[in-house]
Amino acid sequence: MEKLLMIVDLAKCVGCFNCLMACKDEHVDNRWLPYTDSQQKHGQKWIDPTRHERGKAPYTDLCFVTRMCQHCDEPHCQKAFPGAVDKRGDGIVLIDPNYAKGNRELVDSCPYGMISWNEELNTAQKCTMCAHLLDSAWTEPRCVQACPLRALSVIKADEETIEQIIEDQCLKPLTDGSNKPRVLYKNLERYTNNFIAGALTYMDGKIEMAAAGAGVRLTLNGTDLLETETDFFGEFKLDHLPDDSGTFQIFFTLDGYKPLETEVTIEKESVCLEPLQFVKK
Amino acid sequence: MGDSILGQATKRATRQATDLFDKMFLVGTLFTLDKLLNGLAAASEEFKEELKEHYIAVQLKTRDNKVGRLVYFRNGECSGKDGIFDEEADVSMVFEDINCARRVMMGQMLGKEEVFVSAAKNGSLWLIGPDEQAMWFSSLLLKVFAFDVLYLHRYGTKMPNGEMRYVTGTNGGPVFVYVKDGKIIRVTPMDFEEGDATPWSITAHGMTFSPPKRTTATAYALGWKSLVYSPDRVLYPMKRIDWDPNGERHPENRGISDYERISWEEAFTIVANEIIRVRQTHGPGSVFWSRGSHHLWGNMGYFTSAANRFFNCIGASSVLNNPDSWEGFAWGATHHYGGAARRGGVEPYSTVEDCMQNSEMIVFWSSDPESTAGVYAAQEGTIRREWVKRLGIPVVHIDPYFNSTAAFMGGRWIAPRPATDAAMALAIAHVWLVEGTYNKDFVEKRTIGLDKWAAYILGDDEDQTPKTPEWQEPITGVPARVVRALAQTWGRKKTYLAAGGLPSFGSAGRTAYGTEWARAMVCLQAMQGFGLPGVNFGGLQYGTPLDSHFWFPGYAEGGFSGDYIGSGSGVQVYNRMPQSPSLNSETQQLPRLRLPEAIIEGHAEVNNMSNYSVVGQFGKVKYPAPGHSEVKMYYKYGGSYLGTQPNSSRFVKMYQVDKLETVVSQAIWMEGETRFADIILPACTNFERWDIGEFANCGGYIDKSYLQNNHRVIFAQHKCIEPLGESKSDFDIFQGVANKLGLWQAFSEGNSLYDWTRRHYSATRMNSIMSWRAFLKKGYYVVPPLPESRRDPVAMSWFAKGIKKDTPELPPLPSEYYGRYNEGLSTPSGKFEFEAQTLKRFDPNDKERMPICTYIPSWEGTASELYEKYKLQLISPHAKYSFHTMGDSKDSFINDINEHRKLIEGYHFWIFRINPADAEIRGLQQNDLIEVYNDRGSVICALDVTERIPKGMAHSFESCADYRPIGTPGKSAEMNGCINNLTPDRFITKNAHGLAVNSCLVEVRKWEGDFGKWKSC
Repeated sequence: MEKLLMIVDLAKCVGCFNCLMACKDEHVDNRWLPYTDSQQKHGQKWIDPTRHERGKAPYTDLCFVTRMCQHCDEPHCQKAFPGAVDKRGDGIVLIDPNYAKGNRELVDSCPYGMISWNEELNTAQKCTMCAHLLDSAWTEPRCVQACPLRALSVIKADEETIEQIIEDQCLKPLTDGSNKPRVLYKNLERYTNNFIAGALTYMDGKIEMAAAGAGVRLTLNGTDLLETETDFFGEFKLDHLPDDSGTFQIFFTLDGYKPLETEVTIEKESVCLEPLQFVKK
Repeated sequence: MGDSILGQATKRATRQATDLFDKMFLVGTLFTLDKLLNGLAAASEEFKEELKEHYIAVQLKTRDNKVGRLVYFRNGECSGKDGIFDEEADVSMVFEDINCARRVMMGQMLGKEEVFVSAAKNGSLWLIGPDEQAMWFSSLLLKVFAFDVLYLHRYGTKMPNGEMRYVTGTNGGPVFVYVKDGKIIRVTPMDFEEGDATPWSITAHGMTFSPPKRTTATAYALGWKSLVYSPDRVLYPMKRIDWDPNGERHPENRGISDYERISWEEAFTIVANEIIRVRQTHGPGSVFWSRGSHHLWGNMGYFTSAANRFFNCIGASSVLNNPDSWEGFAWGATHHYGGAARRGGVEPYSTVEDCMQNSEMIVFWSSDPESTAGVYAAQEGTIRREWVKRLGIPVVHIDPYFNSTAAFMGGRWIAPRPATDAAMALAIAHVWLVEGTYNKDFVEKRTIGLDKWAAYILGDDEDQTPKTPEWQEPITGVPARVVRALAQTWGRKKTYLAAGGLPSFGSAGRTAYGTEWARAMVCLQAMQGFGLPGVNFGGLQYGTPLDSHFWFPGYAEGGFSGDYIGSGSGVQVYNRMPQSPSLNSETQQLPRLRLPEAIIEGHAEVNNMSNYSVVGQFGKVKYPAPGHSEVKMYYKYGGSYLGTQPNSSRFVKMYQVDKLETVVSQAIWMEGETRFADIILPACTNFERWDIGEFANCGGYIDKSYLQNNHRVIFAQHKCIEPLGESKSDFDIFQGVANKLGLWQAFSEGNSLYDWTRRHYSATRMNSIMSWRAFLKKGYYVVPPLPESRRDPVAMSWFAKGIKKDTPELPPLPSEYYGRYNEGLSTPSGKFEFEAQTLKRFDPNDKERMPICTYIPSWEGTASELYEKYKLQLISPHAKYSFHTMGDSKDSFINDINEHRKLIEGYHFWIFRINPADAEIRGLQQNDLIEVYNDRGSVICALDVTERIPKGMAHSFESCADYRPIGTPGKSAEMNGCINNLTPDRFITKNAHGLAVNSCLVEVRKWEGDFGKWKSC
């Protein structure tokens, strides 16, 4: 049987929040039973893009990380409440509205925090991947249909094809992958990794110039990791450094000038260096 | 001779035959009207109910009384008898002759209203009788021709699950609207069908790009269901409880006292009586109407259409709008290169393709199309900007705020202090002049006056200060090496400059002397030779290869206003859609930025913004106008000044002066200034009425604005649901007031909003593409792009080449050329003028706007006295998630977007952003409730601590929709986010009616007070 895979591409998300608007539009004041009862107008979000910033001005980098029910293949909510949760053949996880009524504990059963409580209806609810639409003529859930660049997309294919796509596009789970989520992320490094940014300069008489085209070499414990050049602003950005990845040495070179080096320790944050100035040989 | 006799005989025979036909036709159609109406009543209960509304007799006849029939309307039953029975008739419909009658009726049937309009204009058709009855009968006749649509609801697409799919337009893109049982189920962007036009493609650097077959939408489009069903909808006409038109009016309680429900009859009567009383007592100009800069989407419903026509009919003072989005370009850039019709904005044609193929760098300067959508263009540009990421063209963003475009596209972010952009631009020019890295050939052939500008930049003039990158560093806060590196690269690489989001907008143009920024932008690109391949204006937002020759009007073209002076109607619509003309005979205007002063103090004088000529802006508009009265009655039609206008608590004072005897607000929601009205007339949304429009097509001052889109989408705007409560379309409200003033035909020609929508369609090229009925069923049409060989020439390439203008653009007016028509620019020299001759002639010593572009420090910045007290430089650009005030508050879904508002202590607070360093100094933390304040006011916001704004600066969007003072209006803190309570009302430069809200100093502190009465928005 063909299964669904939702892909969230952080590099294509422009932070428009159309997904949230479409989700509210579809589910607030509309009852799609037996899939789900209506969503509470405010205070409940079945899809939730949140801003993630890295670095400091002017080297700020930001992306949006969109969370929703991960439609896990081994749903923790189902383990906790076997009668209340249905794992469909196509991969969609649904909460039975009858069982969810009054069952606040369902909310706590989701390790992703994506089951929420509807105060007005006194029920636990979450994203249904718009199963009521997919079961009729629709090919995409509302959030995807409203996404300008399809930073959100769904694929329906056999498991083998999906495995291939996951490998080809380097898709990753939002956290450790336990519960086997069917929502996977592309370019997740924008969220999980750090960068080191900085500027190189040199003096031309009394004028400080940007050292464009200077060599930048990143090493860790004596091993070269990356070699690049500064851009026309004399600046560099060394990305994809995981949390707590250690203390890096960075070597800088510019023809006619003495080489420079510096040490940067990456813990949980990106590091933006003060400008470094080359001195003539 | 023989020919002549034969000819006369033939003519006679033809005339006889025509007469016979006309007579038969008349007997066969008009005079069997009673039978037809009975038939329709049998088919529709709704129609039958309408037939019951009047118990009258109507005489149909020719003027010579030779042919006639009397039709009785008796409790929903119709009957008739042949002959002339004038004494029995309540209403008479009189045709000049039988031929006229036949032509009018045939015309109506075939959708050729010009016959009717001509007959009415020429006095060949009369409707005689009491207004109400005559109007009722006239509208009944028109409904016959629209019976299948209006009563059988044959429009829209039926979905397999029983839902109906309709179409409408929003300021954030066209949408499909799914409806079931009279209720909106969902609102979505449009996915096109297989048979719809194949999109264009662009090949650049070996890659081919083509947009997907769908439309994009914004949050403020997709949140519409929550706006239609908002609990803040005004559902009934209302009157302020302590306002008595025959007694005490208590103006001091506007914004404070409550309302009571009244009937429409009462409301129409009060408003009409007040209009007559005020005008008869005080004379011309005493009734004043104003509007917002935008309205709900649709050519018929936009303020340029129904409102223009209505207020033209009654005679009213109008608001003189400042060119708020263009500000710097309109008052500054236009003097260097002409283009008054675009308010100093640039041509867009084919720049997307040229940029992708030929540019080597794109500089976005005060340009955030990801937030502003250009204007109206949803996220169409987003698609193209992703292509640029794939092409790897380097990008630079210059903006105090790390805006959404920068965040999405990447590239270097440079953050000058607000209102210092011109200093950075001068330094860039300095590098080019010193290093010789500008296009000397272009400068020599196409420009004049660089020597004058160069003298200032190089410090060779009296100023004696070279405007080097080092000079600008303490001014802008941007390191000299960064500016120098940018200048050197720009001088070397073919560069596109997006100055503003459209471009030619930009929040930098809304700063103190923002004219100088916009002037610098065009001067820089003139040094590099704009119009040459890869060197131009734009950020992939405007200038797609769509068919710009397929004519369909935008809203600025006047809809059915017939106002060929007060709208763009005269260019195409007026001569293609037969209609009676409509002009405002009252010339008095009140400048928007001095509206409170005009009303409170009784006088105001500002510069005019002319769409016709560059030098038109030197003229002044004075209030009161000669022979006109001060304003006594204010009829407010949309717009929310408390959220959008500088130093906006001034408006509270204005509403509370006793000079304003009557304030009417025609409003959809109870928000902002609605609460300051004496009479509230509840309007419905465009989901509840008919209209028609095109995606992002406004026309007029943004000619061919649909070139921001990936597709030209022309759509019906179906009446998706019935109006909520007792709300009515703006059209019907105007009609209701007009009826009380005897203006029913003058306002609408007796046509309904639906009729006008159909007439508008018939006037456009769409009429030859598909039938009205087919259009109503499908709901939209995608105009196919032209083949590659017929794409428009690149904007301004004609100028760069020195040939006649060959881009498809009618303006500027012929008289704007001082040399040969269509050769060169609309400047005195016909060339790009670094030293603007128009400014030189106006006032060569205007230190606030010299003939050359200069840097002038802001009166409210780090060098000003106020900086001692208020240490944060605030910018408040156009909002991203609401369209100005549209979509914000009103309990809409949009409030749940945590980048728009933050939910704290049960209330969705407006967001105010500062750097972590500034938060730390002030002991503030993420999500704190804070008070933002200065001498002008105090606003409570939610704090966002972010690296999107550098230290010393602050960001908050403009345009909160509702005004919620926690105490006395105008005198207490405001808690809903009316940031404009804080912004200065000083003009951008002294000889301009332009705002400078982004030169604003504030301070923040933690808020620990109470909030009073308000529930969450």
